[in-house]
Amino acid sequence: MPRVFITGLGFITSIGNDAATVTRNLRELRHGFEVYPPFQKPDIPCKVVGTVKDFNTESADPEDWTFPSRYRIKRELLRSMAPNGLYAHCAFLQAIEDARLTESDISNPDAGLYAASGGSPFLTHFHHERLQKVGVMRCSPLGIVASIVGTLNFNLVAAFKIQGASCGFSSACASSAHALGYAFDDLKLGRQKRMFIVGAEDGNVDAILPFAGMRTLSLQTDPSLASRPFDAARDGFVGTGGGTVMVLETEAEVARRGVQPYAEFLGWGQASDGYNVAISHPEGGGSAAAMARALRSTGVPAEKIDYVNAHATSTLIGDVSEARALRAVFKNSAERPLVSSTKALTGHGLSLAGVMESAFCALALREGFVPGNAHLTKVDPECEGLNIPRTTENRATEMVLKNSSGFGGANVALIFKRA
Amino acid sequence: MPEAVTPSPSTTKPLPSTPKPFAAEDEAALREALKRCSPSTFEAAVQFRKTGNAEHVPAVVIGIIERFVEPDLRMKLKDADDDLRLIEDLGIDSLTMMEIVILVEDVLQMSINNDELRNLRTVGDVKTFIDCKIRGLPLPKPTKFIPIEHIGAVMPVQPPFLFLNEASVSSTAANGKYKITGQEFFLQGHFKDNPVMPASIMLEALGQLAVLYLLEGAPTEPGKAVSSQMIFFTGCEGVRAHRVCKPGDILTLSIKPKRMKMPLATFEGSIRVGQEKAVIVEEITLTYGFVEAANSPVPINGMHVDGVNGNSVATATPTPLRAAINA
Repeated sequence: MPRVFITGLGFITSIGNDAATVTRNLRELRHGFEVYPPFQKPDIPCKVVGTVKDFNTESADPEDWTFPSRYRIKRELLRSMAPNGLYAHCAFLQAIEDARLTESDISNPDAGLYAASGGSPFLTHFHHERLQKVGVMRCSPLGIVASIVGTLNFNLVAAFKIQGASCGFSSACASSAHALGYAFDDLKLGRQKRMFIVGAEDGNVDAILPFAGMRTLSLQTDPSLASRPFDAARDGFVGTGGGTVMVLETEAEVARRGVQPYAEFLGWGQASDGYNVAISHPEGGGSAAAMARALRSTGVPAEKIDYVNAHATSTLIGDVSEARALRAVFKNSAERPLVSSTKALTGHGLSLAGVMESAFCALALREGFVPGNAHLTKVDPECEGLNIPRTTENRATEMVLKNSSGFGGANVALIFKRA
Repeated sequence: MPEAVTPSPSTTKPLPSTPKPFAAEDEAALREALKRCSPSTFEAAVQFRKTGNAEHVPAVVIGIIERFVEPDLRMKLKDADDDLRLIEDLGIDSLTMMEIVILVEDVLQMSINNDELRNLRTVGDVKTFIDCKIRGLPLPKPTKFIPIEHIGAVMPVQPPFLFLNEASVSSTAANGKYKITGQEFFLQGHFKDNPVMPASIMLEALGQLAVLYLLEGAPTEPGKAVSSQMIFFTGCEGVRAHRVCKPGDILTLSIKPKRMKMPLATFEGSIRVGQEKAVIVEEITLTYGFVEAANSPVPINGMHVDGVNGNSVATATPTPLRAAINA
């Protein structure tokens, strides 16, 4: 079966809108948080968001949006996009350029696209309100494709003339990790030669605020204290939006095109908690099983893993659950792999998180560094026994494991290797 | 033959003779709705809303279409004639057409039924359509596309003297195409070793298109139909040939009625090859007569049942509005 490589990346994130800026901020542990103006109201308890810079998507009318001038997008394409569609479209253009793909590389029956976003609660709200107010026949004919879950794949497949496999993944915060896993399988099985994996979220009031109702958001007002995975004083996650695109290709395509890949994608595993609709398994059962499966399927022994990019979102229950899962998997070598959560810098990107953080792993493997776990002062005693670096380590690693977990107790673990 | 489409009472509401008072908040809403249109579009809309005068409608409609056309195609609208095609020339797809309709409805305070839009193919079609809606007039017959089988079935002229391969007919014009094959019998002698389409035959082809218009597009009196046995040539004026046409050339023919008063119908006509002018006729006049309409075929679901040979001939072309949705 063919080997699978990561050959292109594109980023619109709270810590940068291109690979170079993202790399620098990961190395230097500079976060992307701001006191978010729409949250500065007495009845909104959370205040901080990982904001996307240089884009303004406040309006429900895409023609009002502003974005960097290097991206030229026709009205015909823009009109059916949600903010997450715009972010993903721009990240897609970067990934194409980064992977040096031609039009025919992108648009052919052997090139597919898997995407993940939570849709656009913002536009769903807007269009339904309009429907109530002015009647359905005065509503935008594109309101549906701009709003519903799947909006990302609809828009990107049409815009980039994708002819291979395409669909959307919906396992909440594990979505784009699932997309990566199934894309990997399609490449391994010879169904596709190239896959684009896309994660994106609006990251605005309608996308983030509902999590406050679950009491899962940090109430910190200080942007540099709000997201503190594994810290004893953590109080919830910080929301973020943006988009990330990763290009996966078979080794034959890599050789044919003569490109230098970021990393090899060795394999993956998944397992479910079978426990609670929204609460992580207290012992990290599903997460541990997903990691064990990923290791078994790739034949990589646990002690060979150099770095784990944790799912850890900075919630009370989730971080402990993952720490226990890590200790269970890395038994004898629990001190060995470096473990950090880059959500300390970006915030939690929900459906975007899996592919965004996998892309961070790709940067780390290629550039030879391990991002530290920012904002960690005192490790939660429940999370002890792990090797969590507080600062970035500038050394090359061979094997990286990426964890993702979502509602319903869905867990995914992905393993990447230096190319 | 399809009758003029009479709108159902629920969809056509002629504007009240005294327009609703136009308040400041209406103007603000209008300004917001038209914020991406030219200032003159907004002005025309304000005038229309204040006075109900339908003369302002074309400027509003064209201004709204312009706003939805990609910037590099907008020049085409500047000096557009009514034949400019929405899909082919302006790149307006069915979803954009809906966006246009929703904004027109909002700005002109009217309701448009999807079915009414199916046959709007040109800028002229849209202008006529909106104008009829505003004035509460019956909608014009849609443009019909007539394939060769149907042309042969209805025309009194037959091969080898029929010079139309395909045609489209609306209530205001007819367009057709004829490809000079080189097999036409008269080319053997016109000229020796140098086949050139005779100008008189090109004039004949325009005359045949005018006959087709009389049979398929012209307004008739109730219960009457134009008789194919009673159409004859009477005269023509201002004929100029500009280009030699030879085998392989595709003639694009068009005629427009200038005057129609029983028993005479006068048209202007032109023939082009690609973008090149071939023949211009200032006036070509036919005489015609009515017969009682006997069992004229009725359009069913866009299919035109051909009364002559019993075949079903599709007269509805792919609609710009339907079917684009792939939900």
